[in-house]
Amino acid sequence: MSIDWITVAAQALNFLVLVWLLRRFLYRPILDGIDSREKEIGERMAEAATIRQAAEAAQADLDARIATLHASRVDTLEAAHQSAEAEREAMLAEARRRLAVEQDEREAQRAEEARAYTAELHRSGAEALLSLTRKALSDLADETLEQRIVSHSAHRLSAIADQLRDAAGDTREAVAFTRDPLPHSVAERLREEFASILPGFTLRLDTDPALAAGLTLRLGGAQVAWTVDSYLDDLDAVLQDRTGRTVPSGFANAS
Amino acid sequence: MQLTPDDQIVFMIGNLAINRTIFNTWVIMAALTVVSMLITRQLRPDVPPNRWRTTLEVIVIGIQEQISEVTQRRDPRLLHFAGTLFLFIVTANVLTVVPGFDTPTASLSTTVALALSVLAAVPMFGIGSRGLRGYLRTFIEPSVIMLPFNIIGEFSRGISLAIRLYGNIMSGAVIAAILLGIAPFFFPVAMDMLGLLTGVIQAYIFAVLATVYIAAAIAPPDSDGGPHTEDPT
Repeated sequence: MSIDWITVAAQALNFLVLVWLLRRFLYRPILDGIDSREKEIGERMAEAATIRQAAEAAQADLDARIATLHASRVDTLEAAHQSAEAEREAMLAEARRRLAVEQDEREAQRAEEARAYTAELHRSGAEALLSLTRKALSDLADETLEQRIVSHSAHRLSAIADQLRDAAGDTREAVAFTRDPLPHSVAERLREEFASILPGFTLRLDTDPALAAGLTLRLGGAQVAWTVDSYLDDLDAVLQDRTGRTVPSGFANAS
Repeated sequence: MQLTPDDQIVFMIGNLAINRTIFNTWVIMAALTVVSMLITRQLRPDVPPNRWRTTLEVIVIGIQEQISEVTQRRDPRLLHFAGTLFLFIVTANVLTVVPGFDTPTASLSTTVALALSVLAAVPMFGIGSRGLRGYLRTFIEPSVIMLPFNIIGEFSRGISLAIRLYGNIMSGAVIAAILLGIAPFFFPVAMDMLGLLTGVIQAYIFAVLATVYIAAAIAPPDSDGGPHTEDPT
């Protein structure tokens, strides 16, 4: 066992060289690599933490939006329900209004048809009544209705001659209205009867299709009439009993 | 029978004889350097580490952790020194299994050189940490009476380091050589296997003791100085 001091010095120098070599080619690259990798891992973890925070924030925002949507969905459904209910009520009201209008129109149409029918029935009845009366007078008494009216009116005029003379005032012309022109003989007889009852007065004959069958005399402020209106009123009563409706006026408003 | 490879001259450089110890040391240095260069030449953060790089990282980190456990600090200079001690000794001791390779650590000159390096490193680390006055003050602590004992202890550390490593490695090589002459088939293999274990353990002990000596010389992490640690062995 001996010590070679030259070898000792060389080995000490070799060791120092080896320290430098390993520091240059082993420790520094390895430690730097580890440090850089740790740094990179740290950066990635920080980035992951940032991304995680962003994801959590996005999730929180999404949750809030979902909650808002749930809440607004209930409100929206309620509003839609109310709107639909209001629309339904409006449609029902419009339908009721249209139904009422249609009912009124149908009622008016039905009333008009009934009135027209009743008027036609009344007119037909009046024509039939006059025709039957004329036929009965002609067959049974050999007279016309106008002749009987003139005879009857002359009899009644003589009863109220004074009253007519007073009502005439300054007027010296009387007007006799008939619905249809009187036959010539009947007209002459009426003039004669009038002249005999009210001497000094003249009689003018005239027609008015709106009047009922008969004779209407106007003298000054007085007017007397002998028409079939009363009979037509009785006919109206009969028709009203049968139809349950009021017969339009127009045929029995004077006497 | 040669007990040391110092006597085997490999070649001459002028008047300087390069013996087997120095030559094999160069071989070990070249092997460590080349392997390190090959593994760390493409070391980039964006390249995933391969198994060799991972192995080197495990070794370096393991050494660093051992040093940190002893010194309670992370000092890259200490890693370079103690780590190189461990890697050189363990490589040299493992290479005893190579037939014909005379390991440098079986030379007392090598172990003395390593021990002298530790003896030189201790005051260098101590002065670097505490300053010259602070380091010299450690020799008179806890009292001036302890000054000669501390000086003796300082040198006895180097002697014990050198003799311990040399004795273990050289004895293993000598015993293997003797057994090779007596029973050449079985016992040398068993002794070489035992020598591998012993060599690794001795490398670890040498590096740890060097770290302990240096750690005792430098200031503790939380104070300016501390008691001078005696050789634990």
